[in-house]
Amino acid sequence: MVPPDERSRALVSVLGTAETKVTFEDPRSIPEMVLAVVEAALEDAALGWHDIDAVVTASVDLFDGLTASSIAVTEVVGAVMKPETRIAADGLAAAVHAVHQIMAGAYRRILVVAHGKASMAPYWDLTAWAMDPIFLQPLGVNFLTFAGLQAAMLARHDPHAVSRWATTAALRRSAATGGIAGPISVDRVMASPVVASPLRAGMCAPVGDGACAVILGDPNIGDRNLGEEDVRIAGIGHDVGPHHLMIGELTDWAGLRRASQRAYTLAGVTKPTFAIVEPSCLFPHEEELFVEAVGIGTTAPHSPGGGLFAGTAPVISGLSRLLRVVRALKGRTGERGLAHGTWGPAGQGQVVVVAETP
Amino acid sequence: MTSKMTPETTPETTSRAMTPVAIIGSGQTNHAKERSDVSQPELVREAVDAALQDAEILPEDIDAVIFSNMELFEGRAFPELWVAEGAYGNGKPVFKVATGGTSGTSACIAGFHQAGSGIFDTVLVVGFEKHSEGHTQTGMALVDPFWDRSVASGALGNFALSISQYVSEYMAGRGVTEEHAAQVAVKARRNAANNPHAHLQMPDLTVDEVLASRMLAEPLHLLDMCPQSDGAAAIVVASRDTARKRGKAAAWVHGAATRHDQPYLGDLDRRLVTTRAQRSAAASAYAQAGITKPLRDLDVAEIYEPATYAELAWYEALGFCEDGQAGRLIDDGITQMDGELPVNPSGGVLSTNPVGASGVIRVVEASTQLLGRAERRQVDGARTALATGYGVYAWSDVIVLRSEMP
Amino acid sequence: MNSPTSEFVHTTIELDMSWRYASGDEMERFLNGIAQRLIEAIRCPQCGRRYLPPRPFCGRCRVRMTEWVPVADTGTLVAWTVVHLPIIDGRTGEPRPFPYGMGLIQLDGADTALNHYMATADPELLTIGARVQAVWRDELEGAMDDIMHFEVMP
Repeated sequence: MVPPDERSRALVSVLGTAETKVTFEDPRSIPEMVLAVVEAALEDAALGWHDIDAVVTASVDLFDGLTASSIAVTEVVGAVMKPETRIAADGLAAAVHAVHQIMAGAYRRILVVAHGKASMAPYWDLTAWAMDPIFLQPLGVNFLTFAGLQAAMLARHDPHAVSRWATTAALRRSAATGGIAGPISVDRVMASPVVASPLRAGMCAPVGDGACAVILGDPNIGDRNLGEEDVRIAGIGHDVGPHHLMIGELTDWAGLRRASQRAYTLAGVTKPTFAIVEPSCLFPHEEELFVEAVGIGTTAPHSPGGGLFAGTAPVISGLSRLLRVVRALKGRTGERGLAHGTWGPAGQGQVVVVAETP
Repeated sequence: MTSKMTPETTPETTSRAMTPVAIIGSGQTNHAKERSDVSQPELVREAVDAALQDAEILPEDIDAVIFSNMELFEGRAFPELWVAEGAYGNGKPVFKVATGGTSGTSACIAGFHQAGSGIFDTVLVVGFEKHSEGHTQTGMALVDPFWDRSVASGALGNFALSISQYVSEYMAGRGVTEEHAAQVAVKARRNAANNPHAHLQMPDLTVDEVLASRMLAEPLHLLDMCPQSDGAAAIVVASRDTARKRGKAAAWVHGAATRHDQPYLGDLDRRLVTTRAQRSAAASAYAQAGITKPLRDLDVAEIYEPATYAELAWYEALGFCEDGQAGRLIDDGITQMDGELPVNPSGGVLSTNPVGASGVIRVVEASTQLLGRAERRQVDGARTALATGYGVYAWSDVIVLRSEMP
Repeated sequence: MNSPTSEFVHTTIELDMSWRYASGDEMERFLNGIAQRLIEAIRCPQCGRRYLPPRPFCGRCRVRMTEWVPVADTGTLVAWTVVHLPIIDGRTGEPRPFPYGMGLIQLDGADTALNHYMATADPELLTIGARVQAVWRDELEGAMDDIMHFEVMP
């Protein structure tokens, strides 16, 4: 329970959420996937199209193979003759910006939508194009090899690290009921091929296709749709660390520490304890960096549904974590949850949302 | 098009007046066809240092950074991750806005919202594009793979199609002539000669030279079109309290609106004639700012005109004149430097176009006018300024700034 | 810049990437029709607008669309241009010969227009309001360039 004196002024209310079932290949087009989650989120919020003042979308042109890829979804997110902003980062950053917009008094209700389809192109190869083209990209690194580099540095003085990560991966996969890759044993993780030493294929969260939508609203307007029991967003924070992470932040998610501190300050969190914690970790070693950075203690439970190991998609991960936090908190009183998103190599971009119930 | 469809029926969003914020400083690079002397982070640093100096603040005074860039033009993903260091962004809240031609103005509006949210006091918005480091035509070619990718004529050909409709309306009193367009080209490049940052500076350009320049796509001549430039631009946005406490001149945001529209070229009936997204955005921004007669109420405008004809179409969409009167406006010199409403004293997008920066440049120029720091391109006594953004084919941003606090 | 490029170090990286796009149900039906020389638009139940390209959702009325209507391969030229610059042909990857004509064509039975190549690159032969007709390939593959171009009807 959140102590009453720690309860913050809510920034915004979460009015509705929806996501597609993540699969390795969704046969639908991007607009079809997005339309499905937008309609479902409106239904979840008991709102109509006309109740939405503005839209924030999240997508990445190079992932979609489309120039200004938000064009593909303008109609299905209902943005025709409405304000739309596109954030090219993890979907949770789009939610954070919607919070900015509502707090600035610009709009009352905002639809936040993210989509990603890893099935369209070799995802990890595409991520090489986020590395600086002068020094890093010619080395042939991408987000996967960078994660391997990070894991290798963490494992250097920790002989048990790799087997521990295999155990974590197996644990997450078995916790993921309906996960797209199914359960896996520790032995099979350890026997799976090395993809970026010391990371093995079985240690990587499966990345497929998905879309996710969240509707946020100003809690201070009187309206039948804004119930007292709505889950609120109480804190937000994001951060971009140094690109040349080996300078100091590769084995420490310092950017996440900064981002979560910003969110905690806004939410009035002095002791980070949460009823639900949903990190965006594609690899087990990232979970260790995560719990350290957000300060929840290494024994605190998180990712009850297996986290991203249940299956995720580019760009949607953080927004879908928020959806999980909101659904877990719904109907409870005085509880807090933490949702996390990241983008870029080895956690260079970090974003955090603290949600709570009144 | 002749059809029995109901006209523009989509209900519009009513924009609310947002929390007041101010632009307290700005800066831009010298823009050129190729800035091979700097890397992308260095290009950004050049604009950011100028903005910080103009605002008389230090990098540590910046609470958050918003980037604007169309990454496919450089063939990149998440360019802010590499380039953030150029904006002193490492260890700060940073993300990137990308909406084609409106990227820059939408990033500025995102900055207004961030600074107005109560969460940040001071926000840096920086737009950049280094076209010389990528392949712009390829970056623009990834349109709908089933519909028009195999028959794409590039942005130029598609834009020319919209323009051909606008020109054809001339006899019906709704369009313009080649000569009107050429006058816009001359105005832009001559104005640019007063702007040390501008890419194309042609103080002696004439209407005849524009009309004699190479035909790119009827009716667009080479000199009717914007160039591709390398460049960056930045603004510093402060919350109301932060801006007031400084006790210094600032450009206050009085109105800001964004409208998107249907995506396919043929979705809208005579796009450049109806210009409904820009009209709706202008109506909203004007209502927020209390502007009723734009030609009278505005002192200077920096509008996003990728082609000469677009500027003329925007005159009507932005309410500078009645529909069909854009040609008269340029004929009468109303939008010249010594006219009633100087439009694009900087030379505009027609003289400088680093896409991710172009919208930010509009806001830099508009706010610089209000701070009285535009030097040879200064409009005397400018107190109310307009900045717009436009993206192919359906995105519009309209921003109204004033030297007084709302 | 005054300085010659050669003073500065540059690196070149080739981006060679392909994507696999899902068509969506509406575009799939439309392209299957194209393979039979059949053009169909989708109609909004609210505003009645007959859309090309077909799509699941009318962005104006914010409603799903399910009703299909036949569209002719003849129509009216509502805008035209002649492009005097080379362009890479999306099908072959080779530069297209130029100049070439481009048109915005409102097909008979549709309310939106489609952009496509014109058979002629002679501005004298292109006028807004001209009646035009699709010229189809012999071998149809179910793609937009099964229509090679449009020609002005005599």
